[in-house]
Amino acid sequence: MDEVFVRIDDRLLHGQVVVSWIPYLKANLVVVADDEYAKDEFMRSLIESSGPEGVKVHVKTIEETAEFLKDDRDNRILVLLRSIEGIRKLSKKAKVANINIGGLGAGERRKRYYNSIHLSDDELNILKEMANDNIYVEVRILPKDKAIVIKGS
Amino acid sequence: MTFADYFLLSIFYFWASSTALSLGIGYYTIYRPVMAGMIAGLILKDAQKGMMAGAVVNIIYIDFVSTGGSFKGDQCLTAILAAMASILFNLHPLEASALAYPFGFLGILIWKYRLKINNVFVHIYEKKYKDKKNPDISVYDGLLPQALLLLMSSLVFVAAAFLMFLLNDIINFKNIGALYYIGLILVIFSAFNVLHKIKNKYNFIIFALTFLAVELFDIRAYIIFVLICFSLMLTADKNIGFAKNEFRGIIKKGDMVYSWFIWMNYSHSCYSYERLMGLAFAHSMKNILKKLYDNKYEISEAVHNHTEFFNTEPNIGAPILGYIISLEEKRRKTKQSFEDISYIKKGMMGISAGLGDSFTQVVLAPLFISMAVMLSLDNSFYPALIPVIILAALILFISYTGFMNGYFKGKEFMLQRIKNVKESKVKIYFPYMFSGILGLSMSRLLLNNNRPYENIFTIFIIILTSGISFMRKRGER
Repeated sequence: MDEVFVRIDDRLLHGQVVVSWIPYLKANLVVVADDEYAKDEFMRSLIESSGPEGVKVHVKTIEETAEFLKDDRDNRILVLLRSIEGIRKLSKKAKVANINIGGLGAGERRKRYYNSIHLSDDELNILKEMANDNIYVEVRILPKDKAIVIKGS
Repeated sequence: MTFADYFLLSIFYFWASSTALSLGIGYYTIYRPVMAGMIAGLILKDAQKGMMAGAVVNIIYIDFVSTGGSFKGDQCLTAILAAMASILFNLHPLEASALAYPFGFLGILIWKYRLKINNVFVHIYEKKYKDKKNPDISVYDGLLPQALLLLMSSLVFVAAAFLMFLLNDIINFKNIGALYYIGLILVIFSAFNVLHKIKNKYNFIIFALTFLAVELFDIRAYIIFVLICFSLMLTADKNIGFAKNEFRGIIKKGDMVYSWFIWMNYSHSCYSYERLMGLAFAHSMKNILKKLYDNKYEISEAVHNHTEFFNTEPNIGAPILGYIISLEEKRRKTKQSFEDISYIKKGMMGISAGLGDSFTQVVLAPLFISMAVMLSLDNSFYPALIPVIILAALILFISYTGFMNGYFKGKEFMLQRIKNVKESKVKIYFPYMFSGILGLSMSRLLLNNNRPYENIFTIFIIILTSGISFMRKRGER
């Protein structure tokens, strides 16, 4: 479980993740935790077939991901989620020690937090609450970037 | 330099670094130092000298990938300045590159603020849309951002060039021997850096063997080039081709080609933190949606839908656009909600970006560009254009066939494309070829000029730098 790295990025498995993060983390398994994609047969097979050389990709619902993380001991796992709401659900069901925020596009209520990271007030509050619960929350787009740590209130 | 030279070089720097208005291949051709150096040289009437300086800058930036990795200065600006220094101050390519290197960092200014500044155009567009003024997407995605970029890049170029000339007046660089050694150190560091990055057991061995083979047997670059091209042709997948279907709907072939043309020219034109390629996506849907809807408010709304956040690798990801066009065509009849289309866009964009960048940027571009570097360092200037032309043709082929097949075959084509890219043999052989090309390039760079083996000091510097950079990276593991 210590080997799990959780990243929030609405682009999921894209260039920065494949080219920079997976080699940096030496991850051998990517779990895309997303209820919507897990239930869509086609999207699931599309995402699962798109992992780079030597890396397995699973698409699971958030519930399944939580179960999976409890049992798995052998892999270096990168968990990808699309939303803050998703991580809130996951953290209630599984032990999450750290969260990396890597990409969230602009939206109706969202304001720019840092470069390509946009957060609404509600989302920021959820993150602060998690930080209060001793979860390490960082904003870091690429491994080489300096982490901006979100602290609890 | 005359005023006309300044003018032409500024325009060229804008065009190359914009990566727009060049059919999507500018980023793979004129933006690369070896080509930028050659064109700058052409303007200053010594293309060969410019290309040589560009090739050296290219080795210094050989490990560049836009999705992370080490970000140095702007390679295109560095190459133009190095070509200028080499021709106008009569410097050796290594000296010229070392001199241009610090000024290249001025170019980062543009890349850094571009994504922020472009937010402004997104905001203006959104405001006009809300006020029901039917804003023209091509103005906010194309014209305005590019006009601003032209201004910014010209200013940066003129400032960098001015500073370099000023410095040369104070210190006459021709008389400074150290510059040569700084260039040498930069090149060696970069070569070892990139060899460490490609995780392959044999890369150092292949590098060393080719290096020695060239020193001892004088192997020419064109022989290696022909061998590599031949082996690529043998391993290439021959089942990938053009779509042969007929256009039966409202959308005709001409509309598709036009939409593709816009996408290729503008995918990064208004690249902003808020939307990334969102405006470009909408821009390339404009002519399609105009055909599908009559009322100008309907068109405006349909275009606006597509300005949402979007990001992908523009060539491997081209099937997404074709597929979305086919969905929009159906949606006109079914009145299905846009959310269903948006969901597919978002699901596909990340995948093709991840897969695309690890193929076009990490394999194809370095392979063909390094061959151009290798050939030009071996004094084969015109043949050096061949790998660049092949690269450009491949990129166009990948994106055009993807765009058309995406329209006809939809989702299934995306799956097929992922399979094609993953099974591509180039990826497997790339580390071996690349290490060899680099070994040959380095060897030619040192053999080609009259200075390196004339004194013990140079050999000492080469061995010391190689040793340090080799050990330094070993330690990091």
